[in-house]
Amino acid sequence: MRSVKVGAMVLDSEQRLVLWNHWVEQHSRQISLKVGETFTNVFPDMANGRTHAAIREGLSNNFPSLISQTLNNSPFPFYGSALDASNDHRIQQAVQVIPFEVDGMSRHCLIQITDVSKVVLREKLLRDQSVMLKTMSYTDGLTGIANRRHFDQRIDEELARARRSKTPLSLLLIDIDFFKPYNDLYGHVQGDQCLREVADALRSSLKRPADLVARYGGEEFVIVLPDTSQEGAHHLAEAARVTVEMRQIAHEGSIVTPHVTVSIGLATCSPDDANGVRRLIELADLGLYEAKKAGRNRTALARQKPQG
Amino acid sequence: MIELSAIENDALIEIFNIGVGRAAAAMSSIVKEEVIMSVPAISFESRTQAALMLSENESQRICGIRQHYAGAFNTEAILMFPEDKSLEIVRLMVGDAVSLEELGEMEQEAMSEIGNIILNSCMGILANIFERELQGSLPSYHVGTSAQILAEGERIFPMDATVLMLHINFHIVKYQINGYVAFLLDVAALENLQSHLGRYTGRFAGTP
Repeated sequence: MRSVKVGAMVLDSEQRLVLWNHWVEQHSRQISLKVGETFTNVFPDMANGRTHAAIREGLSNNFPSLISQTLNNSPFPFYGSALDASNDHRIQQAVQVIPFEVDGMSRHCLIQITDVSKVVLREKLLRDQSVMLKTMSYTDGLTGIANRRHFDQRIDEELARARRSKTPLSLLLIDIDFFKPYNDLYGHVQGDQCLREVADALRSSLKRPADLVARYGGEEFVIVLPDTSQEGAHHLAEAARVTVEMRQIAHEGSIVTPHVTVSIGLATCSPDDANGVRRLIELADLGLYEAKKAGRNRTALARQKPQG
Repeated sequence: MIELSAIENDALIEIFNIGVGRAAAAMSSIVKEEVIMSVPAISFESRTQAALMLSENESQRICGIRQHYAGAFNTEAILMFPEDKSLEIVRLMVGDAVSLEELGEMEQEAMSEIGNIILNSCMGILANIFERELQGSLPSYHVGTSAQILAEGERIFPMDATVLMLHINFHIVKYQINGYVAFLLDVAALENLQSHLGRYTGRFAGTP
């Protein structure tokens, strides 16, 4: 019994301590365990608590109980070391209360205590890692803003939300003007730096926490604007466009200005619109085409509203 | 399939409401929030029908906590929630946002404890009223389709066994969650149930 890594105590039908193992002896520290002592005398703080109720019920109706660490937070005052005991840092425990029959006597119950401290720690580590991986898988590695996957998921959620709450939803599709000539002229390392700068400018132009800027692919970005009308979205698009221009990133290859600029296509889904996500993106794309055709460094809507 | 009179049906609903009321009280003191539980309806189903109640499509995964009770009669009791509902319960009771696959050992154990409390309360009140004693097993946690979860215990309960289904409404804080408890009953259990219910309702009706 000394090598068993589980605590075990047996109570009789009157909730008196009958026996216990070395583990219990070792971890109960200041508590004095005496044969014949009642459970509530040995563990006064646990009187009428969840474990005590489970013992009472187990002895009366013969049903075993499970008492989890997660919901009960270490019911027994058991400690791994004297230091832990002085800090009231209890062993994390999973408790089972199992009634059983003893020949010629009334019912007894076994209380089994398992140390789950290591499992709790391991699961916390796993959870932290999983959160980190999730964050990484939704972030664009180059620019640090949301990636395409994140956008795809958010746009679906936002469209559903807009339908439910009967609010408009706007989308901006943003393309860096003359990016290929920029790469040819300055090289890909500088091109990457340009993408980072533009992403940062776009992000800094947004003030509301619900707005999302994501890298759509290559030199294209997308901004999701929940609860935003076409007029409001146009205002925000212009603010984003101007913010990029004001960064004054030199671009000798641009025929618009000597700086990096963006063209923006705008599309809005009104509450009574039955258009899906694909149609919304198509409309923003058409708007972007209009902006390019009209001379770049501007915001535009799809010229007419073609049937979807 | 078993046929209960309206009075017997109401009596059984009343009995289970007392049971889940006790479970709710125990859960309230654990989570330190008001937990209200009720059983609005019960029904007797085949395994196939019972499985259909749990999920709209066959591949939908649910979470089940099962316990076996033996003695005067045998029953396999299973608390079941559709996937999204069990996640809500975990989130409300454990305070963590995780997916069903991500439920760690500790959260699974917490769900098992919730099942243990509810199932023991329901069976406890039943055993009490029937003046029978049963032995219970510890709970075990399962994830799968409703058909898979209900198909367990096949050795003891034939595939055409009757399932007593309890609809359970949970209210935790401002959330309402619906779940089910299924009791797979053997023939002895069914006969016991009917005869004791007859006696129980007779006691109040004043007829023998």
